Amino acid sequence: MGGLLIVFVFAVVVALSSASYLFTPRGPNQTVIRTALIMTLVSCFLMWSITYLAQLHPLMRPRHSKIRPHNPTEHVTF
Amino acid sequence: MTESTFFRSEEMSLIQLYIPAEVAQPAVSELGELGLVQFRDLNPDVNAFQRAFVTEIRRFDEMERQLRFFTSQIEKAEIPIRHSHSTPYLTRARSRQELDDLEERLSEHENRLLQMNNSYETMQRRFLELTEQKHVLRETHDIFEDAAIHQEDARRSFDEPSAPLLDDLETGAGLQLGNVTGVIPRSKMQTFERILWRSLRGNLYMNTAEIEEPVIDPSTDVIVEKNVFIIFAHGREILAKIRKIAESLGATLYPVDASPDRRREALSDVMRHIEEFNSVLANTTQTRRQELMRISENLNAWMTIVKKEKATYHTMNHFNYDINRKCLIAEGWCPTNEISTIQTALRGVTERAGSTAPTILNELRTHREPPTYHKTNKFTAGFQAIVDAYGMARYREVNPGLFTVISFPFLFAVMFGDVGHGILVLLGALYLVMNERKLAHVDGEMFQMVYGGRYIILLMGAFSIFTGMMYNDIFSRALPWFQTGWVFNVPEDYDGKTVIVAEPNGHTYPFGIDYAWHGTENYLLFTNSYKMKMSVVLGVIHMSFGICMVYYNAKFFRKPIDIIGGFIPQLLFMQVLFGYLVIMIVYKWTVDWFEHDAAGYPVRNTPPSLLNTMIYMFLSPGSVNENDKLYPGQGFIQGLLVFIAFICIPWMLFLKPYYLKHEHNNARSKGYHQPSENHVRISTDSTHSDDIGGAVVADDVEHEEEFEFSEELIHQVIHTIDFCLGCISNTASYLRLWALSLAHAQLSEVLWTMTLGMAWSFTGFVGTFLTIVMFSVWFSLTIFILVGMEGLSAFLHALRLHWVEFNNKFYQGTGYAFEPFSFVAVLSQKDA
Repeated sequence: MGGLLIVFVFAVVVALSSASYLFTPRGPNQTVIRTALIMTLVSCFLMWSITYLAQLHPLMRPRHSKIRPHNPTEHVTF
Repeated sequence: MTESTFFRSEEMSLIQLYIPAEVAQPAVSELGELGLVQFRDLNPDVNAFQRAFVTEIRRFDEMERQLRFFTSQIEKAEIPIRHSHSTPYLTRARSRQELDDLEERLSEHENRLLQMNNSYETMQRRFLELTEQKHVLRETHDIFEDAAIHQEDARRSFDEPSAPLLDDLETGAGLQLGNVTGVIPRSKMQTFERILWRSLRGNLYMNTAEIEEPVIDPSTDVIVEKNVFIIFAHGREILAKIRKIAESLGATLYPVDASPDRRREALSDVMRHIEEFNSVLANTTQTRRQELMRISENLNAWMTIVKKEKATYHTMNHFNYDINRKCLIAEGWCPTNEISTIQTALRGVTERAGSTAPTILNELRTHREPPTYHKTNKFTAGFQAIVDAYGMARYREVNPGLFTVISFPFLFAVMFGDVGHGILVLLGALYLVMNERKLAHVDGEMFQMVYGGRYIILLMGAFSIFTGMMYNDIFSRALPWFQTGWVFNVPEDYDGKTVIVAEPNGHTYPFGIDYAWHGTENYLLFTNSYKMKMSVVLGVIHMSFGICMVYYNAKFFRKPIDIIGGFIPQLLFMQVLFGYLVIMIVYKWTVDWFEHDAAGYPVRNTPPSLLNTMIYMFLSPGSVNENDKLYPGQGFIQGLLVFIAFICIPWMLFLKPYYLKHEHNNARSKGYHQPSENHVRISTDSTHSDDIGGAVVADDVEHEEEFEFSEELIHQVIHTIDFCLGCISNTASYLRLWALSLAHAQLSEVLWTMTLGMAWSFTGFVGTFLTIVMFSVWFSLTIFILVGMEGLSAFLHALRLHWVEFNNKFYQGTGYAFEPFSFVAVLSQKDA
């Protein structure tokens, strides 16, 4: 997948945002619902993509020294 | 007429109402029910005592006083008051006749109650006297009996032959002792004794006894402990003196006859009286209680009526009275969209009253700044309150409350990210939301504050769950939901001490941070870099969004100079400096810095530090050290960006003031002048002929301010400096997201290892016991410190980011709130 996942999710977010812009029922709360939905999508996408990007080409690797000698695999997965 | 949205405040109109005098009261009270008009005071120079409806207000004040008196009496009698929440019966305007009836009824009730209270008090006083007398008779009885025996003894001793003659004579006379009996408060006993002893030089015989049951003083309702005393002395003067002293010390005297028969008679007499009084008192209490019960049934309804009527007349005092046409003239603000609602309501009043003269509503044109009215619902009210606490929006300016609905809980959650803590917050808020009707009337300032923000807390909890998933933290533990990207190759003969470095296996953790990082040595190093960069990215986007709102404001208020001289250079400045930083952050992430070519040589240099890149961008613009290069052509681009940033500063500084000066000079050369000040208030001018048809122009009190170039320039200099420095310091300010989220994660990690982690290192019975104890410690600390205190701190930081970093980019907040005349507000305000 790699970096393409971000592009894909971005497309999904754009699609969902436009859907929520277009299909929010008319009424006194239309603006609030629209804005809330789109901002939720955008902020969650931002945070997810930043987290994903930060691990895409890691500059450091996890270092462990407290692994127990016995059945180490069990510990690794917590 | 535009549709009302939460993006801008409601459109307001200044309206003028001509209300015929005979329907004035029902019409105004109908408007009070609607709660849509904020009336202006048309007689600001008239003081409160000279207004038209002072007598009516006095009358309602008197009725309110009576009702308060009833309330206090009912509370004293501990009768429950029936709470009726806005029955339709109450929403009807009262006729004059009904109000007169009510007034009469209240006075009647009050008189009856006062009378009953009076007679009750007299009776109680008499009852008290009787009780005291009873005690005096009982206690003195013993003393007299004693004395009788002693007298016998004395007689006998006198009869002895060895007794001296003189003594016999003197004591014989002394046998004719007079007595003073009565009751005195116990606290005064000592003083009483001392004064008697001193003034009579010890020529008395005194005996006292304590009354065991406490006596209640009917006038003050205080329990007083009292003593019965009896004093024997001889000589009329001395007895009179004793009486005087006793009375001056607050004693009550009850004469007791020396003969035992009469005493017995008196006692039985008193006892009979007490019996009688007891039944009478019980009767009186019963009737009084019944009266109060009858009052308590209607008390709330009456209170509501009186308060509403009082508020109605109070509002009518703000109107002008046109004597010629027998009508009241009112002026006030109302939402433009609601004018038809108001008109329908007023027409209904006229029809119901059977009046022929209609109420006339005019829309006035004015240059006054209308009040700001954001139509909120129970969901948005809390968020709008956050914005209003910073400053009330200018009329129709972009309302940051709309964006706060999501950005506030999101930024909170960035600092508070933990699935477990998020669930706790969400559950708490869900409880409040589910039971919102039941909890709406719970008192307590703290509770009401939390209750008012229940939807904010709900979203805060929901977003915290999401950010917790991103951080992969649930009570500081990890959630291994997806395929990890790291493998720890632990050798067979591992000694448990050497450091093992994980190998990548080609996967990238798809949702949140890889759980393999949890508990590693360099976990903090990794999250540190990740969270710092994330807070800068989020901050720059948030602030740029705020700058974009400048555009919407300028477009709406038709001030193109604010776009050309404000919005464009500001956004450019921000993007050139910090937008570029964000791009560099993202770019650095997207590049595989350890890529090797076919020959096995590294393709790129070592990853450069972004901080140094930013610093050297200014220190040596146009050139980049070969080892610190991010991308080809970096030197040129950075040089260009710095150049643009420096262009932006004079652009922001000078364009707007010089443009305004140009405009001003243009206007002046065309011959426009300031309008003269001697306008007549049309609404006060009742002889004005054409004010019924069409729109009427109300005067402007505030004129446009005199244009002063130097002032404008100074203002712009301050604004520019504020913005440029603000860009830097505000970006730095968003780093609080980084600091707080790190602190939160570390604190919950430490709490876990210190309590549960410690308990689980034991086995057997000790382990079980410790686990139970430590779990309760861990859970309560989680609730109070991690969710309570940390939550509060994250809340305050999110608040600051909105008030300062976001709002100062575009929000003026110089308006004033729309406060309509509404019975709901009147009733809730006075209850407090």
